[in-house]
Amino acid sequence: MVKFTAEELRASMDKKHNIRNMSVIAHVDHGKSTLTDSLVAAAGIISQDVAGDVRMTDTRADEAERGITIKSTGISLHYEMTDESLKRFKGKREGNSYLINLIDSPGHIDFSSEVTAALRITDGALVVVDCIEGVCVQTETVLRQSLGERIKPVLTVNKMDRCFLELQQDGEEAYQAFARVIENVNVTMSPYEDEKLGSCLVAPEKGTVAFSAGLHGWAFTLSSFAKMYVAKFKVDEAKMMERLWGENYYDAATRKWSNAKNTASPTCQRGFVQFCYEPIRRIISTCMNDDKEKLWQMLDKLKVTLKAEDKELTGKKLMKRVMQAWLPASDALLEMIVFHLPSPATAQQYRVENLYEGPLDDPYATAIRNCDPNGPLMVYVSKMIPASDSGRFFAFGRVFSGTVATGNKVRIMGPNFVPGEKKDLYVKTVQRTVIWMGKKQESVADVPCGNTVAMVGLDQFITKNATLTDEKAVDAHPIKAMKFSVSPVVRKSVACKNAAELPKLVEGLKRLSKSDPLVVCTIEESGEHVIAGVGQLHLEICLKDLQDDFMGGTDIIVGPPIITYRETVTTNSSHTVMSKSPNKHNRLYMEARPLDSADLDPQQPTVAKTIDDERIGPKDDIKERGKILSEEFGWDKDLARKIWAFGPDTKGPNMFVDMCKGVQYLSEIKDSVVAGFQWASKEGALAEENMRGVCFELCDVMLHSDSIHRGGGQIIPTSRRAMYAAQLTASPRLMQPMYLVDIQVPQTVAGNVYTVAYNSGGELKEEANRVGTPLANLKFYLPVARSFDFTDKLRAATSGQAFPQCVFDHWKIMPCDPFQAGSDSGKVIADIRKRKGLKDIITPLSEYEDKL
Amino acid sequence: MDDIDARYEVPRTADFIRSRAYTRVALQFPDEMLRDAAAVARALRRELAGGGGGGVKLFVMADTAYNSCCVDEVGASHIDAQCVVHYGHACMSPTSNLPAFFVFGKMPLDTNACGRSLLECSRESDKHILVLYGLEYAHAIDDLKAVVAELYKSHSGSVEVQYADVLCSVMSPSSAAEREHDQSDGNTHSNDVSIQSDGVATFVNNCCNVEGSKRKYNLGGLTWSTPIDDNMEDYVLYWIGQDNSAFANIVLTFNKCDIVRYDTVANQPSRDVSHLMKILRRRYYLVEKAKDANIIGILVGTLGVAGYLHIIEQMKYLIKAAGKKSYTLVMGRPNSAKLANFPECEVFVYVSCAQTALLDSKEFLAPVITPFEAVLAFTRGREWTGEYLLDFKDLITTEKPEISNKTEEARFSFIKGGYVEDSCTEGKEEQSETSLALAEVTEKALSIRNLNNDAVLYQGGANSAIDYLKARSYRGLTGEYEGPAPDSVLTGRTGRAAGYNHETTKSAQ
Repeated sequence: MVKFTAEELRASMDKKHNIRNMSVIAHVDHGKSTLTDSLVAAAGIISQDVAGDVRMTDTRADEAERGITIKSTGISLHYEMTDESLKRFKGKREGNSYLINLIDSPGHIDFSSEVTAALRITDGALVVVDCIEGVCVQTETVLRQSLGERIKPVLTVNKMDRCFLELQQDGEEAYQAFARVIENVNVTMSPYEDEKLGSCLVAPEKGTVAFSAGLHGWAFTLSSFAKMYVAKFKVDEAKMMERLWGENYYDAATRKWSNAKNTASPTCQRGFVQFCYEPIRRIISTCMNDDKEKLWQMLDKLKVTLKAEDKELTGKKLMKRVMQAWLPASDALLEMIVFHLPSPATAQQYRVENLYEGPLDDPYATAIRNCDPNGPLMVYVSKMIPASDSGRFFAFGRVFSGTVATGNKVRIMGPNFVPGEKKDLYVKTVQRTVIWMGKKQESVADVPCGNTVAMVGLDQFITKNATLTDEKAVDAHPIKAMKFSVSPVVRKSVACKNAAELPKLVEGLKRLSKSDPLVVCTIEESGEHVIAGVGQLHLEICLKDLQDDFMGGTDIIVGPPIITYRETVTTNSSHTVMSKSPNKHNRLYMEARPLDSADLDPQQPTVAKTIDDERIGPKDDIKERGKILSEEFGWDKDLARKIWAFGPDTKGPNMFVDMCKGVQYLSEIKDSVVAGFQWASKEGALAEENMRGVCFELCDVMLHSDSIHRGGGQIIPTSRRAMYAAQLTASPRLMQPMYLVDIQVPQTVAGNVYTVAYNSGGELKEEANRVGTPLANLKFYLPVARSFDFTDKLRAATSGQAFPQCVFDHWKIMPCDPFQAGSDSGKVIADIRKRKGLKDIITPLSEYEDKL
Repeated sequence: MDDIDARYEVPRTADFIRSRAYTRVALQFPDEMLRDAAAVARALRRELAGGGGGGVKLFVMADTAYNSCCVDEVGASHIDAQCVVHYGHACMSPTSNLPAFFVFGKMPLDTNACGRSLLECSRESDKHILVLYGLEYAHAIDDLKAVVAELYKSHSGSVEVQYADVLCSVMSPSSAAEREHDQSDGNTHSNDVSIQSDGVATFVNNCCNVEGSKRKYNLGGLTWSTPIDDNMEDYVLYWIGQDNSAFANIVLTFNKCDIVRYDTVANQPSRDVSHLMKILRRRYYLVEKAKDANIIGILVGTLGVAGYLHIIEQMKYLIKAAGKKSYTLVMGRPNSAKLANFPECEVFVYVSCAQTALLDSKEFLAPVITPFEAVLAFTRGREWTGEYLLDFKDLITTEKPEISNKTEEARFSFIKGGYVEDSCTEGKEEQSETSLALAEVTEKALSIRNLNNDAVLYQGGANSAIDYLKARSYRGLTGEYEGPAPDSVLTGRTGRAAGYNHETTKSAQ
């Protein structure tokens, strides 16, 4: 029984102060989806009985099967709040009905792109943390991400039931654990404090922390309890809340509050323990002991009434129902969401700077800032959601300003759109605007700003994300592209079993790449289709989707994992190499060297990393670039001015530097030499992998005096050959991708984890025991190449207690010489060359270097 | 001397020349046979003189501008030759102007070993066997047939073996003009010797024509027929010869068939065609890459193969219809250095005979594709289905290819892994959406050209060679002088540089 209709929902969409767009984020298995159920149940979409079991937002069969969320799912919920509960709310509001657009996101690191997409279109985040496991690696990641997007977080300490039932912690112990969790969250967030966003530190006494048990559907904030005690202590609610947290102790005997624990008195207890933890513990234990008489008395005191049939229940079921009736999760969470998360009207004021690419004083920026439903249209599509059957997609996003309506003609600005150009720009009609209400969608005539929306009819022009504006808004800039914290590094080739089904595969790959924010479908030079995903699990899900959903079950052959390597050099070229042009009339002299000098502090990011991070790049001001290079990396200032190009793809982590003096016609061949550099840095001499961290220096040039004999045809292939020769003379090495693996395990099996990790070539980065828990946190660097059976091995060695989270971290030089027979990198190169259909052995230096 | 006579079929050639009463004949030799050229010419002259054909002028041609497998008609027309005698490996592409006589040469073939291997192959498979061979082994096929028939008798085999025939050894440019058959032709065939060059073609697979209840195939100088109900997949192809471009042509065209190659040097069969399948997959990649190109170079690699002008026109039309820019370049034997002189072209379409069309462009700055691949790449909505053609004559259509302008979906690029906008819509939009005219103009006024020269130069951001030139850091002598215009306009010299008009008087003095 849904408690609201589409009309009601639509009506509250206009009240921009009464909207909350929020995502639920957390580490994997900390109970996001389960907790979300409580909120959904409160809106009446599912019944309270099953809340916590259905996992309403896990809509896919494999999500239910694996018990993890894979795709983020949006759901619009409508609540009528009572005047009573809104009494203390100081912000702007229009009436008592609230609209919450909630997005449940996956916690596994492989799907963190979904989190990014969810954060972009929301203003607040409910951070869920397991009270026992505490802040985990993914919690940190999502917190960082949300603050980067200026998303205000509130915290809920989840799985409270574990404290009572599983660990049977006493009050003080539990309090310490909770306090630690909260402190850790705050510590994680503090470096990302943002003036405009205001303080994001969470504190229970402010009401920004809730304590919940998602599985049982109950939760409380300190204000829930404060309300109960206001009458008793005759203080106001805010004052009471403060007393319920921190160093506030109450001596039941003396009926006095104090700031320090009076150790002498056994009746003196921390406020939180005395007034929050203990009552719950008593209720729970009474329920579990089936001491019903005592229970009814207690419930009477608390003014909690149970339905007649519920009174028949026993044990856990009874406990669940009692707790739900006493401290319904939705009440506490809703209050926290409504009170402490910003409305779009508030949030867009400070988010506009982070969102809009164009000038912040143009009409579009102003409309976003004011959240103006009558302003120009600005919609950001953050993801594409497959429609159930038709093979089409909904474009799901957020209206930042204006109103999007069925039949609107919109300009679609794709991720490669450049203002003023026609690239990646389409004008299309929105066929239908849709809102999500649980598992079903409802069409609405239009959706005003501040809300999430799904649109039909645009899917053939949007790959993954886009900005939509009015068709006539030609001077609008797009909304900034999302930055993902992970990148697709695991790749596998796919082919059809039956060659004639290739068109099906092609179509399937198109759809797949649309359905996921980070999957990349490309084609190799050898003609193989390749799917790249963030991690193994991600890729597995993608392949399954491809076969089952997008290709109708057609048989596909999946190849072994393909790992991309990088080629680099480790020393300066042993000598200056020279290559002659095909007509023998031009000579290029070059040297290669590593971008980083040998005495670079290993802790400092490398030049290549700095280029990756776009701190230096082709578009820089030359002075700025020179300053960074000379101050941080010890480059000669003049040298930094002579950078001709970055490559591959004009912005990669390799450089070409001109060291010539007084060469005639040099300006004429610059473009040709750089073309050769782009080519060579894309396909290195070892295995045609991209180069990384290589600096090529042009030392001298002899050119024919007739321009016809020094054209591109003579220079481009020659400069490429010269660069290969330079690379081969500078101790070339392969670089392999490394994962940072985060493992949380009971300390008892940590030893087994070490064994498995070392056997797979891992190196320990850090280890930490989690205070107050039997858990240890281990961090390893692990070669991606050896990570594929790592998860399984680890599970086997720890009887399933260790669950690694792998994320690409850096490129590491393989120290062995690829030219030495039988070396690891030599084998890797041989494999790559075989896969790419190249000659078995690396082309020798003599092919590239010419003699005078 | 007898060796030369036999190997180069001197008497047969002389008969041919005599029977048609040609007086100026060009002898075209590939590089590897060039050392025999003088001897062959001498022998031929002697043979002609002996048979009453004196007065025939013979010219030796070598080092052809394009490929030695094609008849060099341009070279021959320099000496006003009436016909070309082509020696060595031939692709048998139809000529457009001159009649040609082909001497394939004779490579030794161990017919007994080959016959046995053929028999073995037929036992392994219950499919019919179709024997195809390099033209240089054509002389030994009759022997082979006899050997195989003998072997079958003794082994009571029942599987049918079919042999392809050599299409002809004489080729005339037009079927209507001359329908003479060379009676002295040693090979048995009574087919129409000339190949229709007026290009009436079904689009898909013209190397296969339906005639009555037979399906007739012509490929690389070989011809064979199959019952109309049979597909080529029902046959095992048994190729006798080297692993060369003719074989590649067969494998790629019939890439779904079982193929056995009998290696004439090692005298053993091999089933390994994986390297060619790799090539096929790579071609697929190149097609995907070509889809992303904005500027396309059409490389004219033949001036002889019939219909080349037509296909060039068709390519230009196709490229234009796809909203891309094409430039036509005439280039004999493309190589890395030659093509890199045109760095603005992102892909080249190589119009040449079927056996040279397949260039391995790995070392080239831009890939080179065949006209068939270009059709796949530049026709929206066409998919790679595995079917493959190398011979462009099969592509020629009399009607303009139909271009659907309905851009119902943006194009997905597998190179970039996302949707890309093809810059073709510009012209059309302006007319169709007049309501937006003002907006369009504003947009233009606002546009900033060439924000990133690097992207234009090295990442295919240019839409035409002009864009490319604008992005270059060096654009040659620009002619934008600082100073004012020259004072007055003067009449310059007239005439040729060898001697201007006013100079002739001087030399007369």
